[in-house]
Amino acid sequence: MASLKDIRAQIESTKNTQQITKAMKLVSAAKLRKAQNNIVNMRPYALTLRKVIADIAVTNKVTHPLMEKKEQVKNVLLVVITSDRGLCGAFNSNINKFTEAYYNENKSKLEKIDFLFIGRRGHDYFARRGIKPVDYITKLDKDISYELASKVANRVMNDYLEGAYDEVRIVHNEFQSAISQVVVAETILPIDLGKTTFNTEAETTSNFAVDMIFEPAPEQIIKELLEKHFDLQVYRCMSESVAGEHGARMSAMENATNNAKEMINKLTLTYNKLRQEKITTELIEIVSGAEALKG
Amino acid sequence: MFKLTIVTPERRLLVDQEVEEVTVPGFKGELNILPGHAPLITTLGIGVMKWRLKGQEKQNQAVISWGYCQVSPEGVNVLANIADLPEEIDLVATKEYLAKSEKHVLDEVITDADWVEFQKEWTRARAKIEVAENTVAAKK
Repeated sequence: MASLKDIRAQIESTKNTQQITKAMKLVSAAKLRKAQNNIVNMRPYALTLRKVIADIAVTNKVTHPLMEKKEQVKNVLLVVITSDRGLCGAFNSNINKFTEAYYNENKSKLEKIDFLFIGRRGHDYFARRGIKPVDYITKLDKDISYELASKVANRVMNDYLEGAYDEVRIVHNEFQSAISQVVVAETILPIDLGKTTFNTEAETTSNFAVDMIFEPAPEQIIKELLEKHFDLQVYRCMSESVAGEHGARMSAMENATNNAKEMINKLTLTYNKLRQEKITTELIEIVSGAEALKG
Repeated sequence: MFKLTIVTPERRLLVDQEVEEVTVPGFKGELNILPGHAPLITTLGIGVMKWRLKGQEKQNQAVISWGYCQVSPEGVNVLANIADLPEEIDLVATKEYLAKSEKHVLDEVITDADWVEFQKEWTRARAKIEVAENTVAAKK
């Protein structure tokens, strides 16, 4: 049986932990708000860009290597986005498990599966399993910037255009709400026009002047816009993941705080019980001592 | 008079603001857009973008780095990768950066890719200095 002093120490240390988890929750909440803003701010850009690509592609009937599907997929690059730090519930392990399952399932079917990790957690997990990535990027703890995302995107795109890969897939957590994140695997290269809800030709030409001046030629513009579109996709996935991370950490810390509270209540109850018992024993001793003296 | 929208992936600078005149660093050089411009789609380089709000004399400025501009009868849509507003530019730091990178390029052997990167950064830094100095001059 623990002594009173032991229990008191335990209560103190639980209280300290609770304070830390509470602080972490508040920090995550603030960061989450910022990350959510990021996603919202990106939308007008993404929508306009997508619309313009659709308009130009449909009216001018242009295509580009980035949009063409390969007949046979042999080499795949997996871009895996995790966080740099832990203490965010199942956020990273969900991603890692999903990726591992995908890898085990497909490694016999495909010639090569390469990995590119964004975030330390994913890299460390697969490093322990002896998988070497082609590249990995950490230090995501600061805000992710569009510049960083476009660097990653450029690298991936160049590899793709040189023919090193037939398909590039990205595995990341999609932010749904502060308490729920869903693991998503998307094919980001080749760019799939069907998925991005493109207008039909009739709709497009109605509000798209036919005598539009292009500087430079439509093919060149499409190329640049597609590159930007791809950069943006990578940036979006990273932003979603960051928002998800903060959301996951927030709810993990909320749970931890509640657990600590429960534990403190339990311990306090035990403490009080023990204290009462001790007082009762002492009282009995005194009373019986006094009785004995009376004789 | 027409409407101007400027957005970047990270933020919205202007949404449907009424303007009288817009100047953008177009693919073929500086491009001035006044009301009634023919429909046009162009890519933008790195440089200074200017716009004058409705009923104002003041030219607003920003440095934009790669972008795309669509002129339609309804207005002008600008998508920029990065936009630096005058009040966000650190003139001293930019000048230092410019001097340092120029020295680096002159003193060391660099690859073609580095050279391309340098040219971009150099143009951006020059544009930033121009905007910052213009703003200071306008205040005086």
